[in-house]
Amino acid sequence: MPRESSLADILTDARVWKLKDASAAPPRPVWSTGSKSLDARLPGGGWPAASLVEVLIDHAGLGEVQLFLPALVACQRAAEIPWLVWISPPHEPFAPALAQQGINLERVLIVRPGSATEALWAAEQVLCSGVCAAVLLWLKGTDDRWLRRLKLAAEAGGALGVLFRPERHRFESSPASLRLLMTQGAPAAHIELLKVQGGRPGPVDLGMVDFGAS
Amino acid sequence: MRSRASQCYKPLWYAAVFPELTAEHSALLYRLSLHAQRFTSLVSVELPNALLLEIKGSLRLFGSLAHLHACIDAAWREFSLTVASATTPSTLASLWCARAGYAVLIDDPELLSSQLRELPIACTAWDPKRLQTLATMGVNYLGELLRLPRVGLARRLGPQLVLDLDIALARQPAPRRAFVARERFRERCDFEAAIENVSYLESALQPLMLRCVQFLKQRQVGIQTFELRLRHRVGPVSRVPMGLSSITADHRRLTEVLVQKINRLSLIAPVQAIELISGPLQPLVLDSQDAFEGLNRVDKQAVPHLVERLRARLGESAVYGVCSMAEHRPEAAWRRVYEIQFGCARVLKIADEGMPRPVWLLSEPVPLSSDSLILQQGPERIESGWWDGKGVARDYYNARVAGARLWVFQERHSKRWYLHGLFA
Repeated sequence: MPRESSLADILTDARVWKLKDASAAPPRPVWSTGSKSLDARLPGGGWPAASLVEVLIDHAGLGEVQLFLPALVACQRAAEIPWLVWISPPHEPFAPALAQQGINLERVLIVRPGSATEALWAAEQVLCSGVCAAVLLWLKGTDDRWLRRLKLAAEAGGALGVLFRPERHRFESSPASLRLLMTQGAPAAHIELLKVQGGRPGPVDLGMVDFGAS
Repeated sequence: MRSRASQCYKPLWYAAVFPELTAEHSALLYRLSLHAQRFTSLVSVELPNALLLEIKGSLRLFGSLAHLHACIDAAWREFSLTVASATTPSTLASLWCARAGYAVLIDDPELLSSQLRELPIACTAWDPKRLQTLATMGVNYLGELLRLPRVGLARRLGPQLVLDLDIALARQPAPRRAFVARERFRERCDFEAAIENVSYLESALQPLMLRCVQFLKQRQVGIQTFELRLRHRVGPVSRVPMGLSSITADHRRLTEVLVQKINRLSLIAPVQAIELISGPLQPLVLDSQDAFEGLNRVDKQAVPHLVERLRARLGESAVYGVCSMAEHRPEAAWRRVYEIQFGCARVLKIADEGMPRPVWLLSEPVPLSSDSLILQQGPERIESGWWDGKGVARDYYNARVAGARLWVFQERHSKRWYLHGLFA
C-alpha cells in the first residue's frame, strides 16, 4: 500500500511547481496604533505583531504608552493567553488607568529586575515563551547583540516587543523593525520615524489625535 | 434523632495505655501510632500516653475480636513498654478500662455499664480538683457516680462530666480524628571530596531531584516549596529555599527552578554534603488530557512556568500583577498582587467614568510651581479618607507642559500644586 502523503509533503516536493501568489507569505498581522495618521505611515497599517519596536525617548509622559495602548487592548483580546508584561517601567503603572483603557488587569504582569542584564534576560524569556501578547521593556542602555536576541525572541514567540530607550542611542544601529523618536514639543510631542522596514522614515504629524481621545 | 447510618455502624475502640510515657515522649507515641496503622486506618493519638484504634472494620480480616486484640497487643512487645489495653464500643470506656488495668473485650454497648461500675474514678484521668470533690462526696467508684441523679451532677460538677459518662456508656458518639503521618521527601548526598564549583553541584543534584520526582509520582502528590541545604566542613548550613508558582511534580519545572537558583548561588565554603527536602506534599490536580494535544494549543502550564522561572532568578517580589481597588484616592486605588491568578480571566469590566487617569502614577506627589502649567481639563474633586487618618482634599486637573500631559492637583487647604501622574 503506498504511503499516504499529506498536502504539506506534496507542497515541499521539488517537482511541484507553485504559482507565485500561492507561495507568497501571507500579510503579517498588525495592531492598529489608534491614530489614523500614524497607521497610514506604517507598513500594513499598524504596529507589526511578532517583532521588535524601538522608541527613543528621554522624558516620560509624552504619550509613549498611549501609542501602544490600543494595540495592547486589541492583542489582549485576540490572543489565546493574553498576557502583557511590563519590564522595569519608570513608574508604577496605574491600574485604574489601564482598566479605563480596556486592559484586562488580571493578565498584566510587572517585572522589576535588579539590573539591565537581568531585564534583558527576563525580556528574552518572556518574548520567546509564546504565551505573552506583548512585552514593554524600559532600558537605559544595551548593545546591538542583545537587541538582535530580543528581536529573534519576539519573532519566535509571536509577541510584540516594545523597547523604550533614551534618545542618545539614536545613532547606534538597531535590528528593530521600527524605530521611533519622541521629543518634547508644543502643543503635542513630536514623533519621527527613524527606521521603517518596508516603509518611509520621516516625521509624523499626530496633531492632537492621541490626546484627550480616551 | 440518630440517623440510620450511625446506628448501623457501631464502632469498636481498642485503647492502649502506656503508663511509662509522659508528655516528653510524644515523638515515641507518634511512632507507635504509625506502627498501629497496620491494623486500622483510624488511629487517634490521645496525649500524653494512650492510643485509640477503631478496629471494627478490621474484624473480618483478623477473624475474631479476640484474635485481633491479641495481635495488636503483641505488636507493642518489640518496644518493651508496659502496656494496658481494652476494647469496648466506646472511646472513653476503653481508655478507662485500660487505665484501670481491666483487659476487657466488650462488643455489646449494653454490657458497658456493668463493667464501668467496677472502675475506680481515678482511671478517668479527670482533673485532680474534680476527683477531690468526688472523693469528698464519697464517690470512689464509677458505679456510685452512675447512681447519682444527672441533673444534680451537671449542676455541681459541670455538664462535661455528664457528657463524659454518656460517651463512656456509648450513648453519645465521640468521633476521633485519624492520625495522618506527615511525609516529606528528604534525601542527602555526601561527597567524597568537597565541592567548590557550582556547576558540579548542579550535576550532583540531578539524581536527588529524580528520586524526589519519583517519590512524588508514586504518591500522586505535588509540592510547591522545597529546600536545598548545603553542609560545609565548618560554619552553619546554607539553606536555599525555593518556591514554585503552583503545585507540581514535574521534573522539568523543578529542575529548572533549582538550576536557576544554584547558578546564582555564591558558595561561602566548599560543600561537603547536600540535602534536598520537600515542602508539604499536596494533592496534585491533574488536567484532563486532550486527544488533539499539540495542535495549535497553548500549554496551560506555560505561564506559571514562566513566572516561576522569572521569580527563581529575579526574586519573589520582582514579579507581580496589579489590580484596581474601589477607592477614590489615587494612591489607594491600586494594589500589587503577588498571588497571580492563572485561571480563566474574569469578564472584563471597563470602569470608565470621570476624567481619564494617567498611565504612570508617581509614588509620591511632587511639589510644583503652577506658573508654566496650562490646565486643560478639570477640576475633579477628590475628597476622601478622613476616617483612616490619610485624608485628602484635592482638585485634580489635566495639564500640559511642553508636549507632556500631566496629572496635577491643588491641595485644597494649602492651595499648593503637586504633580501626581504622567499621561505616558
